[in-house]
Amino acid sequence: MTALVVRRLIWTIPVILLVIFLTFVLMRQIEGNPFRTSERAIPESIQRNLEEKYGLDRPWYVQYAKYVRGVFTGDLGPSLVLRNRDVNDIVREHFPVSLQLGGLAMLFALVVGIPLGMLSALRANTWFDYGAMFVSSVGFAIPSFLVATLLIYYFALQWGEYFPFPTSGWEGWESKVLPSIALGLGPMAYFARLTRGSMLETLQQDYIRTARAKGLRWRRVVVVHTLRNSLIPVVTAAGPILGFLITGSFIIEQIFAIPGIGRYYVTAVTGRDYSVVMGLTVLLALIVIVANLVVDILYGFLDPRTRDARA
Amino acid sequence: MATPAPRTASGEGTLPLEPGLAGPEAGAAIQQSNLWKDAWYRYVRNRAAVVAGAVFLLMLAYCIFWPLISPYDPNEVDFSQARQNPSLEHPLGTDSFGRDLLTRTALGGRISIGIGFAATLVILAIGVAYGATSGFIGGKLDNAMMRVLDALYGLPYLPFAIITLAVIGDAGFWSLVIALSIASWLTTARIVRGQTITLKENDYVRAAKVVGARWQRVLVRHLLPNMLGILVIAVFLELPGVILGEAFLSFIGLGIGPPDASWGSMAQEGYRVYRVFPLLIVIPSVAIATLILCANFIADGLRDALDPRTRET
Repeated sequence: MTALVVRRLIWTIPVILLVIFLTFVLMRQIEGNPFRTSERAIPESIQRNLEEKYGLDRPWYVQYAKYVRGVFTGDLGPSLVLRNRDVNDIVREHFPVSLQLGGLAMLFALVVGIPLGMLSALRANTWFDYGAMFVSSVGFAIPSFLVATLLIYYFALQWGEYFPFPTSGWEGWESKVLPSIALGLGPMAYFARLTRGSMLETLQQDYIRTARAKGLRWRRVVVVHTLRNSLIPVVTAAGPILGFLITGSFIIEQIFAIPGIGRYYVTAVTGRDYSVVMGLTVLLALIVIVANLVVDILYGFLDPRTRDARA
Repeated sequence: MATPAPRTASGEGTLPLEPGLAGPEAGAAIQQSNLWKDAWYRYVRNRAAVVAGAVFLLMLAYCIFWPLISPYDPNEVDFSQARQNPSLEHPLGTDSFGRDLLTRTALGGRISIGIGFAATLVILAIGVAYGATSGFIGGKLDNAMMRVLDALYGLPYLPFAIITLAVIGDAGFWSLVIALSIASWLTTARIVRGQTITLKENDYVRAAKVVGARWQRVLVRHLLPNMLGILVIAVFLELPGVILGEAFLSFIGLGIGPPDASWGSMAQEGYRVYRVFPLLIVIPSVAIATLILCANFIADGLRDALDPRTRET
């Protein structure tokens, strides 16, 4: 088990180098640079000085090496567009917000989705089951921007007097409820369907029949014997989804005016702010990688059979 | 919303496809039957999948033909008709510029669905090329290619789509197709590789090799045809993610721009006025949701029909 974790940790280093490299190469293909815009005409000599200051006049491999060294020492460099701000500042200020939004959405998805799927499986082919599966099929298909705007429209505007939810911001728990639901609805539906499917399959296993035959109470059979095994696919799916939630919250952040990194990202890409884009992309990639790593480790705990095979 | 489902973990697509042993009629040589006839028979027994398929085809027909016979010009601005509720004249109402929404939604659907299918085909092409190469050649190359794939899984999907769009420069149909497919072919590649490796071990492939068939022939005659079923399913599994991706990019303002419309850019226009006239964001969103819902049910039905051993109980 330890060997697996260590090996996976070491493996993240080349992955991060690859992500930095790809982002670096792609960003350099974008036309123009932040100091050579047509709107703000700066004298040629100053432009050259600025490029020299930020190292943009050096060959790309020198810039790349310098940047990689920065990443591994925790210095993401200065922003090229927002003067006097470091990428580290932006990350420190806005990244926790995106992280919290993604985490809350994940929590909502798991806490609602798994029980919904369980109940559906235990009451398979009843009206409850059909209703829950209809809701999750639809919830899975609706784009999050519709969910977000409808939630604001009804719970903050139309029926605003009955609910304490504001339409925007990220202060206090009231403002975090609607965005988390809007972002988490799709994954919630997905978890519900996944849990139902895998639970139905687990319930047909021989060891469940054995457990029942030896006289265990139904509740115990479900909680001890069924749940753990039927959660394996859910755990497998949870990693990519957590990464998706954190990297994909741009639209929700925009609609609810949440000060996360989403808006920075888009403006940084269009404004050629290389260092901000690089820094944020590397961080987002790190999140995805860590989420996948955690899943692999959890997987080993839930399903001992995979432990030896992978280590 | 559609999430990148880790389909490889469930093990589907790695089961051997042995047509001769597939159906109960395996021993009956008199009754000629083939995989596709069987699949069709199984598909039509799945009522949800049949309804979803019908709705899907209806939507396609609506998007293709309605703009041709509609009495309204989808781009004609008439402010006297702006933001009308649904009526006999305008069954879905009109937008902020007085354009007929029934016509404009069809036009947006052409672009959204067009991008969806185009990007899905690109994803499948890259996925098949990569996965089949890796699985077919095997050995060290396979190992290296899979390591690279693992590394690429660390890429955040949406950010890379955004950067790609910035690199291409203009946000048109094909730049969206490229941006959406560039980071989404990984799962397909994995499935295809698994399938190739399983198929490679089949006796008929060994037999073909023994009688001296070249590898190109083995690949084209034996491996790819047997993979067709999985690829057909993959089309409908990938489609929802791509269509949502297009909608997201257009919604952030990086997608299709005026006067052209996609469902995503229509939703973005509607978003600006949703507090006073929510219909404008609801209609394109419902169109997206319907299409994705249908694609999901069709994918389920196809999976049951084409790969009976993975059927849910």
